[in-house]
Amino acid sequence: MQTTAVQPPVPAARHRAAGMHPLENERTLGLLLMLPGVLLLTVFMAYPFFLGLWLSVTDSTIGHAGRFLGIRNFVDLLGDSIFRQTARNTFIYALVTVPFKLALGLGLALVLNADIPFRNAVRAAVLMPFIVPTALSSLGWLMIFDPIFSPVSWLLRHWGLVAHNINFLGSAVLAIVSVMIANIWRGTPFFGVTILAGLQAVPAELHDAAAIDGAGVWHRFLHVTVPIITGVMLISTLFSIIMTFADFQLIYILTKGGPANETHIFGTYAYQIGLSATEIGQGAAIALYMFPILAVLAVLLLRYLRRDVA
Amino acid sequence: MVGSRTLGRQVFAVYLPLAAFLIFLLAPFYWMAIVSLKPPTDLFNLKFNPLWARHFTAANYTYLFHDTAFATWTKNTLVISTAATALSLVCSVLIGYALARLRFPGSGVMGMSIFLAYLVPPTLLFLPLAQVVGWLHLYNTYWALILTYPTFLIPFGSWLLMGYFRTIPREIEECAQIDGSSRLGTLLRIVLPLSLPGVLSAAIFSFTLSWNEFLYALIFMSSGPLKTIPVGTVSDLIRADVLFWGPLMAAAVLGSVPIAVIYTFFVEHYVSGLTAGAVKG
Amino acid sequence: MTGTRTAGRKGDRSSKAAAGTPRLSRRTLLKTAGAAALGVGALGTGPGLLRWAGAAPAVLKGTSLTTLQATYFVPAGQDLFKKQVQQWGQANGVNANADFLNWPDLQPKISAAIQAGGYDIVELWPGWNYLYADSLVDLTDMTEAYAKRDGGLEAFAAADAKVGARYLGIPHGQTNDALNYRISWLREAGANVPDPAEQARTGKILDLTWDQFFALGKKLKAAGHPIGQAFGHSQGDPPSWAYPYMWSHGAMEVERDGKTVAFNKPMFVDAVKKLVSAWKESFDETGLSWDDSSNNKAFLAGQIAATLNGSSIYAAALKDYPDIAKDMCHTMTPRGPAGRFALLGTRTLAVLKNSKNIAGAKEFLAWWFQDKQYGDWLHVQAGYNLPAMRKWAKDPMWGKDPVMYAFSKEASIGRDQGWAGPPNSKSGLAFSKYIIVDTYAKAIQSGDAAGAIKWGADQLEAIYSR
Repeated sequence: MQTTAVQPPVPAARHRAAGMHPLENERTLGLLLMLPGVLLLTVFMAYPFFLGLWLSVTDSTIGHAGRFLGIRNFVDLLGDSIFRQTARNTFIYALVTVPFKLALGLGLALVLNADIPFRNAVRAAVLMPFIVPTALSSLGWLMIFDPIFSPVSWLLRHWGLVAHNINFLGSAVLAIVSVMIANIWRGTPFFGVTILAGLQAVPAELHDAAAIDGAGVWHRFLHVTVPIITGVMLISTLFSIIMTFADFQLIYILTKGGPANETHIFGTYAYQIGLSATEIGQGAAIALYMFPILAVLAVLLLRYLRRDVA
Repeated sequence: MVGSRTLGRQVFAVYLPLAAFLIFLLAPFYWMAIVSLKPPTDLFNLKFNPLWARHFTAANYTYLFHDTAFATWTKNTLVISTAATALSLVCSVLIGYALARLRFPGSGVMGMSIFLAYLVPPTLLFLPLAQVVGWLHLYNTYWALILTYPTFLIPFGSWLLMGYFRTIPREIEECAQIDGSSRLGTLLRIVLPLSLPGVLSAAIFSFTLSWNEFLYALIFMSSGPLKTIPVGTVSDLIRADVLFWGPLMAAAVLGSVPIAVIYTFFVEHYVSGLTAGAVKG
Repeated sequence: MTGTRTAGRKGDRSSKAAAGTPRLSRRTLLKTAGAAALGVGALGTGPGLLRWAGAAPAVLKGTSLTTLQATYFVPAGQDLFKKQVQQWGQANGVNANADFLNWPDLQPKISAAIQAGGYDIVELWPGWNYLYADSLVDLTDMTEAYAKRDGGLEAFAAADAKVGARYLGIPHGQTNDALNYRISWLREAGANVPDPAEQARTGKILDLTWDQFFALGKKLKAAGHPIGQAFGHSQGDPPSWAYPYMWSHGAMEVERDGKTVAFNKPMFVDAVKKLVSAWKESFDETGLSWDDSSNNKAFLAGQIAATLNGSSIYAAALKDYPDIAKDMCHTMTPRGPAGRFALLGTRTLAVLKNSKNIAGAKEFLAWWFQDKQYGDWLHVQAGYNLPAMRKWAKDPMWGKDPVMYAFSKEASIGRDQGWAGPPNSKSGLAFSKYIIVDTYAKAIQSGDAAGAIKWGADQLEAIYSR
């Protein structure tokens, strides 16, 4: 994030509006412009959010409004071994995949920023995992991880590297590793293209100047490029943690949280308890456990942005 | 100096990593495509090399159009994605402009709340939102999705466009206003055209997210022929019938094509829009 | 039939509960509910009146109706049901659609529909009638009239379809389940496998204990085609193994009182220990990630020699894999020290209270449960669906194919989820949370049978003590 674009307000332009057509009044116009978006977000986001808060403190089930319970759902969950496993899985899922995505994404961005043939086509191609519907690409992964028909198992057996088909989604450790591989596959291009956008903000003159000063490639990367893309890397990382924390589709399609809940994350467990097991109050509580974590990330992001923008 | 050493370095620093990335990122698509072109008997015969097809067939694709509602799902997805994108874009432009340029009471709080809204993911909202959708009688209508998708599109769009608008020098606007243009007129005639890459970026991003959305579509609009491509594929094509992989992969390929095409044309704008809006802003 | 008045009152009650949907006026409701009850009345009075009495009342014209079921493992059955729904819709001017969902997706979708609307008729699996009791239309009159006509409900269907005194869905049966096996491979492994025709004639099926079955599996696996069993998060095959294996080793969710958890039993701990070691020696170890269709695929691809499944594998084999069809047969679930069991309980077709077309939904069900429609549907699946009403047990379809013989015995060993307690919302919850299934998956993964069973017992305690 650079601060170049931020300018001080121009008082003359502000006060000139007074006494003119109401739409020229900044206060009226500002509020008016905010209105449609804010209205939508209020009805379909803020309201359900508070409704979710209410559900989470009741014993509501599907089709049955519940009684107020206080924080019992939250306390009960702490004693629920599946929930504790879910929480652990979610942290592992997010905290392992994000560094991989960042590192691979950085590498990808550097490669894409180089002078390569068919640049646009290549850029669009590597972006594919991120842009095609996850539900659909996850189906591709589902078959790649198939216990019987997996092409990877076939190849490895063909080369004599393994004797049996690999149990990608059926053994405790391998299952979460497999879904993480699919997640890294999907998320890497997001980092790649965002960091690439950051790289393009690095003025070529800076590089040239450093090169003339005799700085080597590595030195230039570290002292010219990195400082400029740090911001964008940080932002992508925080966003990615949030998205990964709140993931649903990929795991829903690959394992539905199995085997023996080894791959349940907050989203899938909330879905199972809230909709399958019909305990919508407790399901809402599970989802809300995400909130403090997301709030911490949000504060981090805001502090960073404020330092930068204000 | 310049000759083979640089070329060698180029190969190791660029082409080899690039090849590795391309293989890792595209191999699953190759797999999906090849499966979609195989007849089922070959697919389930473990004696054949699964990475190539002995016979090619278009049967899985014709099946999609003759025996499923794939065409309808495509229409649904297209209408919903376009409408949700348009709606979000209008809201985001207005919010982005207001936050970037106008001083009004509550702007700070509202700006921050909208930004925070980005951090409330669908997985946290879907249970209560199902009730809201039911109360408003939106269930199983396009509106259920057109009105709920903006909740995750507007925050990003507003943020991106706010950044973009700030890169436009204030003086240009002031000149127009001195010439008698109204605030809104300036926004429409001066600011928007100058921000086109940013708007395009936001539009592509929104359209992609709408096209790909799964959870809300699964819960709020998925009975009869009223389904989007991802939901229709997952719920109608995963049949108990043992031979479903072919049509499933055909649907996955077809559902991905429109988005891939858009990006091939606009990837440069997308990246430069991100650079200007999100990175610099 | 005395149903007319009660049906009127009932319709009134459901209209009140259908909060958030545009309400039919009390008059139309009384009228349509009365009409529906008349249709039901006709059902009970003899074959002459059973035929559909021409056009439906005018109220149905222009309405719409959407049904939701699990996907069929015998595709012909699904295609037929879809056609029947459309046919009824065309005849009555109703925009009628049939939807089918992957098994694990069905229940969350029904929950979402109850929250937000969108479906009229849904297929409920055993236990769900209790979970959704407040959101379902009372169909007691229709069910009772229909049961009376068709010789009563089978025992496996009687217990779990009724919530208290009410039927909240009309039972239509359950998919069947038995041990599918490859005749030649089991013979090679030394099993005394009868000829299918002979077993059907004499009634002497391949009789296995679990121990014998595992021992057989060891030889089968050594020969390259192990036993296949799913333990993923899926609601068909995994529980169909998990519950009978538990019961046949003296353990159960709860005692008859429906409160005392009786899961952590020494005999069961030993049995799960045996399963854990058999998993490596006798089973395809990838089964922990299998869903309901995996073993179908594996069996048809010649990867496994035996698996617990419905007759859907056989149906697909008859169609596309004749060599396998000739070499396969079915037998009952293996038995343990405490007996031989199968997990049963009926599925029902229920009407949601928030449906905008309750009258139409009832009309459709009254039409569909007549002999012609229901019979066609049953026959096209060739025994895959165990009918809920006694009359159909005598259908000539059952004697047709000796390979199907074992399925005709299944009802006699069937138990409902929650047994020895009653099926209810608690057993439904334990089922939906995969507690029993995950106990096995946990044991297999960790190798700690006792620990896994203790985990399962704690989870059950938490559910049943509420």
